[in-house]
Amino acid sequence: MTDIRVEGLVHVYDGGVSALDGVDLSVAAGERVALIGQNGSGKTTLVRHFDGLLRPTSGRVLVGGVDAAGRTVAQLAREVGLVFQDPDRQIFASTVRGEVEFGPQNLGLRGAALRSAVANALTATGLEKAAETNPYDLGTSRRKLLALASVLAMRTPVLVLDEPTTGQDMRGMAIVEEVVAAVSAAGRTVVAISHDMRFVAERFDRVVVMRQGRIVLDGSPAEVFARDQWETLRSTFVEPPLAAVLGDRLGVGPTPTDAALVSAMKSRG
Amino acid sequence: MLGGIVGPLVLVAAAVLVPAAIARVVRPLLRAVVLLALPIGISVVVINLLFFPAGQQVLFRIGPVTATAEGLVFALEVVARLVAISGAISLFYLTTTAGDLTIDLERRGVAPRLAFVASASVQTVPAMVDRAAAITAAQRARGLDTEGGIGARLRGIVPIVGPVILGALGEVEKRTMALEARGFSRPGRRTLLWHPADSSAQRVARWLMVLAIPAFIAARAAGWLA
Amino acid sequence: MLTVQGFSYRHAGATRPSLMDLDFVLGDGEVVGVVGANDSGKTTLCLVLAGLAPRIVGGTLTGRFSIDGADAQALRMHELPALVGIGFDDPATQLSGVAATVFEEVAFGPANMGVPRDELIARTAGALESLAISHLAERDPARLSGGQQQLVAIASILALRPRHVVLDEPTAQLDPSGTALVGDALERLAGQGVSILVVEHKTDLLARVANRVVALDGGRVVLEGPARDVLGDAALVDLGVAPPSEVRLRRAFVAAGLDPARLEAARA
Repeated sequence: MTDIRVEGLVHVYDGGVSALDGVDLSVAAGERVALIGQNGSGKTTLVRHFDGLLRPTSGRVLVGGVDAAGRTVAQLAREVGLVFQDPDRQIFASTVRGEVEFGPQNLGLRGAALRSAVANALTATGLEKAAETNPYDLGTSRRKLLALASVLAMRTPVLVLDEPTTGQDMRGMAIVEEVVAAVSAAGRTVVAISHDMRFVAERFDRVVVMRQGRIVLDGSPAEVFARDQWETLRSTFVEPPLAAVLGDRLGVGPTPTDAALVSAMKSRG
Repeated sequence: MLGGIVGPLVLVAAAVLVPAAIARVVRPLLRAVVLLALPIGISVVVINLLFFPAGQQVLFRIGPVTATAEGLVFALEVVARLVAISGAISLFYLTTTAGDLTIDLERRGVAPRLAFVASASVQTVPAMVDRAAAITAAQRARGLDTEGGIGARLRGIVPIVGPVILGALGEVEKRTMALEARGFSRPGRRTLLWHPADSSAQRVARWLMVLAIPAFIAARAAGWLA
Repeated sequence: MLTVQGFSYRHAGATRPSLMDLDFVLGDGEVVGVVGANDSGKTTLCLVLAGLAPRIVGGTLTGRFSIDGADAQALRMHELPALVGIGFDDPATQLSGVAATVFEEVAFGPANMGVPRDELIARTAGALESLAISHLAERDPARLSGGQQQLVAIASILALRPRHVVLDEPTAQLDPSGTALVGDALERLAGQGVSILVVEHKTDLLARVANRVVALDGGRVVLEGPARDVLGDAALVDLGVAPPSEVRLRRAFVAAGLDPARLEAARA
């Protein structure tokens, strides 16, 4: 199983813009980590180091214990699957099936193994009936699910999602949440960038908060959304979930999720 | 014999390099000229050096082909003109911003839509480049090998070029709507935010340049610049 | 005031109409939120209200659409920007592509409309300030982040000073701080008497800024009323719309046998 370790990661873009200012992070195999923070805080820059799309200006990135520096993106893509935010900057095939096949084919899958990987990915994202449809005949939220399916089919030990729930309606959101749960249950690692605090608090074991290229908070949802962290959170323009705020006012905190608040109120009587 | 070479180069020095130096764009200008003129220039020189039909004065031989002085001179004349033309074009692009160009065209009465097309096409290029980069990243993340051999790179063409073009086409309607919603097709003149900085010195220089054209043509016709 | 009566619209080449027999009013100074599953007709409604459908996108329509009492179909395209402004969810395609700075970008619309120079500059500065992006005035719009570009796009609409503004998922690509800024701007605008229609998935935002909410399904209006009522309506979930956090929590309390009044007390 694959873990990811980042040591003293600094990334400065051409033109001198510093995006990562010395990040240390360890994600154990099988963890579910949410990465939150304002746009521009370095979240996307960080995850692009996991599959080698970006290389460190200084510092190290270790994927599965091995330095990523010696491996190409194509090699790292076997271990780290990255789903981008905009499906229209990726979709090129004329059928949904063709689009989903692309990734696993690049990894060398053929025949029955390929068909099975594609079928499972389509079912997991609710697209099995649309397999022969042209992707541009699907609505935007289903195209986002298609992008997700196309990476799921690669069955990478690590799955990274960049804003998977943005622009999704409830049905799409539910599918994304099921996928995260299923992938995690299979022992694979999930890292997701998100602005949706309910999604983050309910579906992830660990929340990492970034600001201006550094990690400022790292812990479980209960820890990160607890009262004493609100000032730090608000300095990064992150608002804790409503359940956490009300739980604190009702004196039963920390309750990052609706369920936690309900259960805390019930046991208080 | 060298008149045809020296002429254009003197022109380049005076009309292109001097303004370039004033605008401090000499290095990018030289780079642009090399990029534009070099590929064609090399083939022109090679072909004319070795295969010029009216060549008499032999410089050297390589197997069955003969290099002639006339061929070399002819080739250098062509290259000199290429340098002059590419120098002028590069100077224009390096010293004109899209905004200034649009505003000046409109000020002189060119329809806003035409002026817009002239400038917008320039700005589409960086947008397309960004788009292509984003698409390439997404496909690489799915295992497309862009660091491998030629076969791998050829396989990458459709997954990268496809979405770039589809995306650009798909954007056309969105962009048109956004422009229309901001009054783009309103007949009549737009308000101009500013006037490009001008001076009487620049005006004089422009008139001199315009008058120089019939002057040079006349001089050439009179046999002075052959 | 924008009034739509018995309105049906089918996109060119589509088999089904996107809007079916729709009646809708956007009153002066109100903020109306529009919710619904993706492909329920929300974007089409925005395009129709801004006059872009059918003029630019083609398609067939039946029914009446009037702006401040006058038949909108009789108006020419360039007469519309001063009446109805429209913003989309994708900021990059809304940029004109010819502006070297944000200031020029925001001035583009009113410049097209021939607004006199001094007023043009004042309006542009005002629009930037109302979205708290004055510090971006000299930046290249093509080099901004998506969220910043979206704020520039909204400022560009504001600079046209239309009496009605239609926004199709303006916060889709924004982070929470950007979303909050847009919410602030919408409140300010509404206070100035501008009528606003905003399509959103973020029902928390609508709970904050909308007076009325309309829910669409399959091109029809299926729910309509004061924001509190519609956002609290259980039917929203069936329509694929996520309810606001407070509504969700209240339901969780009720389902667990807890008294929701305690939630209200805590929110006070």
